[in-house]
Amino acid sequence: MAEGRKIYKCLNPAGMQVPVNTFPLAPRLDSLDGKTIHLSICGEPDITIPLERKLKAEYTNINWTVKKTYGIDPNRISEEEMKTTDGTILGVCW
Amino acid sequence: MPYLADLERAGIPTVLIGFDDQDEFLKQEALTIGVPKLRYIHGSRTMRGPADVDSFLDSMFDGLTRPLTAEEKETGMWSPQEPRILFEGTLEEAEELYMQAEKLPGLLNATYARYTDGLPIVVPTEERVEAMLKGTSHDPKELITLHKDMEGYVAPEAIGSEPMMKKGDAVRYMPMRRTATVEQVAVNAVMAGCKPEYLPVVLAIAEASAGTGDGRDGQGFIVSGPIAEEIGMNFGFGLLGPGNPANKTIARTCNLMWRNLGGAIPTVTVTSNWGDNPAVNGGFCIAEYADGLPKEWKGLNEEYGYKKDESIIMTTHPGSFGMGQHFMPGVYRALQKDGHGAMARYLDVKGVPGPHNWLEYLSVGMWAAREGGVTLMMVPEMAQHLVDIGFKSKDDVYEWIWKKSFEPVKQYRMRGAPDFATNGWRSIERTSGKPWLELDPDYMVPAGGNSPRNNLVLICGGDEETCHRFGGGHGAAFSIDAWH
Repeated sequence: MAEGRKIYKCLNPAGMQVPVNTFPLAPRLDSLDGKTIHLSICGEPDITIPLERKLKAEYTNINWTVKKTYGIDPNRISEEEMKTTDGTILGVCW
Repeated sequence: MPYLADLERAGIPTVLIGFDDQDEFLKQEALTIGVPKLRYIHGSRTMRGPADVDSFLDSMFDGLTRPLTAEEKETGMWSPQEPRILFEGTLEEAEELYMQAEKLPGLLNATYARYTDGLPIVVPTEERVEAMLKGTSHDPKELITLHKDMEGYVAPEAIGSEPMMKKGDAVRYMPMRRTATVEQVAVNAVMAGCKPEYLPVVLAIAEASAGTGDGRDGQGFIVSGPIAEEIGMNFGFGLLGPGNPANKTIARTCNLMWRNLGGAIPTVTVTSNWGDNPAVNGGFCIAEYADGLPKEWKGLNEEYGYKKDESIIMTTHPGSFGMGQHFMPGVYRALQKDGHGAMARYLDVKGVPGPHNWLEYLSVGMWAAREGGVTLMMVPEMAQHLVDIGFKSKDDVYEWIWKKSFEPVKQYRMRGAPDFATNGWRSIERTSGKPWLELDPDYMVPAGGNSPRNNLVLICGGDEETCHRFGGGHGAAFSIDAWH
């Protein structure tokens, strides 16, 4: 049999996807009034500076907390801070 | 994004601001971190900030308050399985399967290869992979793991790898955070056209995450140690050019591993605008010319804690080739032989025979385009000249280059990348120990990275007196011998 007609088993070059447990989203908030919302800022000051300014000036019914970095790894809130945080906005992208 | 997954799991609702062209990427990323229905909204790449904020504010609040859908409440397990045998058939049929490509909307409907780098491949039949595996004593089923603890990212700009990894940790290939076995690496090596004796080098590269990333990919690899000569790598004339099977096929395997082990698909799983670092397009694996080292200087293997008879790969991120003043080989010879020509005029040594410190000439404008460490690829003769004028070790060279990179703070602050690296100038400047914003504008800081050891000297090339160089710094060294 010519080599071109021989049947070969050919192996898969793809890597192995590690199984991932998928989780539901956290329950959403009934209202933002009186809640503590954390603004996690990663760079993009052209967006995040006016965003922070507007939120603090015009949404005074919300308790805003903020952590900033210019990098792509957000500054995380601590375990203690998580206990008093009702929601988080992360921008931009990371 | 793993941070958002942690928050959602802790019961804290989140919303992410991204860009609309990254929707597919965000969807894939959310899936791999276990929160597939993560909510995100779109900012604009071009709209002015205040107007941009006004445009997404409602949807941002909506993301925190809109009740969850049934899908968003689901739990489950995402566990896609890839079969070991991908295909059974003739070689012709297999070639067609492996070389299939599909149109991608994100690429303006250009085609993108399903299993290759776009070039023809060697079909990885079971027999060929078995033959390839004779290049290592490791079990084909063995998971690729680290052979030693790693502090810091394993490779420069290796976004996605953990900054701290321990010996025995499985290497995760970005962007899909997959793992791989020795056999799967060997499959890619076969496809690239490697020979079995190259496999330990490829496996060491795989241990170094193979240059895979979620967008900032494209590492280059330097081999140091006896294996370079043993497998016929070209570290002499034309080492960056065509023709050497080892350099070319080992380097090509990196692209295949990024595609296949990592699952890289531009606009779907990766965000890279250019697709790769231009300097490493098609792969970049070169070697050190050990016998060309001045006797006073150590090879990269010894510099990084290995023995002279041990082989390693060094990870780099080549970019900005051609930094610093350019010179022709004849201009260099004129300088060192008799003190003639442009370099002699610049160094003010007209008529004075060498050796002269040619680094003085080369380093002008070295950091103009990119800050950080540099890798100098120099031919043996030029390295010897440096030794003859007093650089008794490579560390002396590294120190000299680093000091040469200093510039005033007011100049350094015009650079783009340090906006990020200094966290918006809120961090501490290392040489002074003071906050950046408290420094005098004329205070001198290094543009050449945090330490002289950010630099690298590689002896290679033929006899023409030139010094290739690239920026991007370097990462860790990995043992090749561990993969024999």
